[in-house]
Amino acid sequence: MSGRILAIALNTFREAIRNRILYLLLVFAVALILCAQALSLLTVGSEEKIIKDFGLATIDLFGVLTAVLLGIGLVSREIERRTVYVLLAKPIHRAEFVLGKYAGLVLTLLVNTAIMTLCFVLLLVAKGIAEPAMLLAVLLLFFQFLLITAIAVLFSCLSNPIVSCILTLALYVTGHLLWSFDLLRARVAAPWARALCLTLQRVLPDLAPFDVKGMVVHGIPVPPERLGYALVYLVLYGGAVLGLACAAFQRKEMQ
Amino acid sequence: MAVLTLDGVAKSYRTHLSLHKYWILRDLSFEVREGEIFGFIGTNGAGKTTTIKLVLGLLFPDKGTIRLCGKDPSRPEARRRVGFLPENPYFHDYLTGLEFLDFHARLHGFRQPERRKRVLELLERVGLHNRADRALRLYSKGMLQRIGLAQALLHDPDVVILDEPMSGLDPIGRRDVRDLILELKRRGRTVFFSTHILSDTETICDRVGMLVRGRLAALGSVEELVRGEVGSWEVTLAWPSPQDPPIGQVLSRREDRVLLRVSSQADLHRLVGSLNGGGAKLVAVSPARRSLEELLLKEVRGAGAQADGVVEEGRP
Amino acid sequence: MSGAVALGAAPAGRARAGASVGPLRFVLAAALCLVLSIAFQAEFGAAGRGTATAPLLYLPSGRYLQIAALGFDELLADALYLWSIQYYSNYDIADRYDYLEHIYRDVITELDPRYLDPYLTGSMIMTTEAQQPEMALRLLDKGIQKNPDQWILPFEAGFTCYQTLHDYTRAARYFDLAQAVPGAPPIVQRFKAEMTRRAGDIRDSLQEWAAIHDAATDEYVRTIAWNHVHDLRVQVDLEDLKQAIALYQDRTGQRPARLGALQTAGILPATPRDPEGRPYLYDPRTGVPSYGGLSILGR
Repeated sequence: MSGRILAIALNTFREAIRNRILYLLLVFAVALILCAQALSLLTVGSEEKIIKDFGLATIDLFGVLTAVLLGIGLVSREIERRTVYVLLAKPIHRAEFVLGKYAGLVLTLLVNTAIMTLCFVLLLVAKGIAEPAMLLAVLLLFFQFLLITAIAVLFSCLSNPIVSCILTLALYVTGHLLWSFDLLRARVAAPWARALCLTLQRVLPDLAPFDVKGMVVHGIPVPPERLGYALVYLVLYGGAVLGLACAAFQRKEMQ
Repeated sequence: MAVLTLDGVAKSYRTHLSLHKYWILRDLSFEVREGEIFGFIGTNGAGKTTTIKLVLGLLFPDKGTIRLCGKDPSRPEARRRVGFLPENPYFHDYLTGLEFLDFHARLHGFRQPERRKRVLELLERVGLHNRADRALRLYSKGMLQRIGLAQALLHDPDVVILDEPMSGLDPIGRRDVRDLILELKRRGRTVFFSTHILSDTETICDRVGMLVRGRLAALGSVEELVRGEVGSWEVTLAWPSPQDPPIGQVLSRREDRVLLRVSSQADLHRLVGSLNGGGAKLVAVSPARRSLEELLLKEVRGAGAQADGVVEEGRP
Repeated sequence: MSGAVALGAAPAGRARAGASVGPLRFVLAAALCLVLSIAFQAEFGAAGRGTATAPLLYLPSGRYLQIAALGFDELLADALYLWSIQYYSNYDIADRYDYLEHIYRDVITELDPRYLDPYLTGSMIMTTEAQQPEMALRLLDKGIQKNPDQWILPFEAGFTCYQTLHDYTRAARYFDLAQAVPGAPPIVQRFKAEMTRRAGDIRDSLQEWAAIHDAATDEYVRTIAWNHVHDLRVQVDLEDLKQAIALYQDRTGQRPARLGALQTAGILPATPRDPEGRPYLYDPRTGVPSYGGLSILGR
């Protein structure tokens, strides 16, 4: 079984790296990271902070974009182009197909992130401000990409790319704003409303644990529990999302 | 022993926003036996491709059961010994022929060095070993069909399911496919294919299922279906007169030749008897056996007359 | 579902071999994972927070943020303001005031300079909670500059100078600014008058209170104004008398025998009388004039 998942994963990876959009995003990202150098010239005071902030933010933004853009078409495009028929006629489980596609995307994101990080690190080294904490921040960002792309894949199994894109990005935004539910809960009076807020806060994906950019830039040490928490949450919540994706795809009609 | 069984299968399709169900297949029941070549014929849109998708677990029936190799098609075990070639093959066109087959071989669980061996074997067999390094994007239709066959036969399946395998091919290509199907039968494999080119089916199929508007209008061997009787004759006359001959239906005219269809033996005798003098001469007479095509046309017309009075299910 | 039909219709012996694969197992697995993740989050959520909302602190200045806001500056200002309230209400965060000024002055009010709440709330937090009144005044100064049509901002600034800094001169200046804004309520003027007095400018204060008294439309205000005018009048008169007496002493070398002598000597144009019309009291031995009545406001 893992052989089949691996085969689909490698095939998905092959498809992704032949996708021109990926290169466009990557080039853009690298360019922006290098721009950080130019930007830092505009500031009065510490240019170090600008470079680090900008570099991490670029990796974050483009990683998310790549995760979303590649994820939303992962399954729906195969169905649309009908390349899925001959694959599903093979003796494979439908779940193997979904998980294989996801694994391929994980591999793609890994390579993508590695390239962006390499550029970033080179820039930092050139300026003499490199530190290992930066890599920790990127690792947590990578976990975030994995979670977001799982969500994108779920929607890809359910709907067309446009709807998937909107919904995935919406969940990305809410994922960073879950603290506002705390605020809301304190304000609303009705217990049912408060229960609703709490439910939403728990059920919607929480992306805050993956963001340690600020801490790292300001030299605040990231406790190991943070890393552990992020990883476990990724596995549990990501598992739930992928489980739903497999369930959705299991009975999907290939018209 | 049946490799494929359909029992009371019905499939409907509901357009996105409406509640109205449109039935593609109604109460379809037949079986395909081991070792036979089964032709599945019908007009375009009759539901042939839908049936094949149901058989392979790509779609799920609304009613009835399907057993492929004795199991429900949605289970991977059912498809283990099955090879499939879809109509208008859609493959990942960024892959080269070699990469494509290697990928599919992995899906079947082939490991190196067996895998490489099989892939090269199949490439050779379909005549694409010279173009294996080119991307599928650059393949012609015929080449795509061939690589598709290679993919279907990679694991030497017991059952081969082909959806319109001859469509879009030139006569040489069609003959190749025909020969392949016959060879598979010779090796004891079962072949189930759909087509709307009826002449192919008449020559190679053991049994035929005719699908008209979602129902099985006919099922049996070609002989059974097109039983015995000579239906009509085609008569070629030398006919100098500009007027039409008195008996028979003119099919075509050329210079002083006329091709007629005469629909009964009595008419034929009368026609031949009337050819005295005037330069008219009998050139050729050949019996036209009723063909599958005629049978299909008859069924379609019959189903059409029926359909006008039928209320489609789903409508209150 | 046809899967169920297949299970039900097929004889029991064949059911397992034939049955189709349903999505149920995946739904259950997904549900389990979700429940676990919720439980995990509830239990260990703190580990995932750390200096939780800390990242938002490290915002670039509003000017740069405007670029990222893509035209939604005001909305972003709203969101940040809402966040800031929640953040600053959280007393667990020990170092939450480190970026207080940056957040309010350089970010939120940069994004939406016409949004009043951040100025008011921010300055309140700065003064009351962070004990940084000068910081509050800087914020309010910016607000005043960007919103010259809002009386509340200079009023708030004046109040801070008055109550926290006890800098009455400055307070008076702010209240002056505030009362000049059309639509400022009358109390602003009264504040200004009082601050002027506390700053020591009793003459100006008297003038202002007199003006308030004359312009008063209701009894309450008129009475208050009169009270102030009364006491200030006495103070000013006594001041004037003291100055005149000193001058007399410089000229003649000795204290005047009575207050009338000041007028005779040409130092005062007339001898002032107290607000009740009576003459002021004078002790020639000490040379100190005093008021015969009672101060209304007890000063």
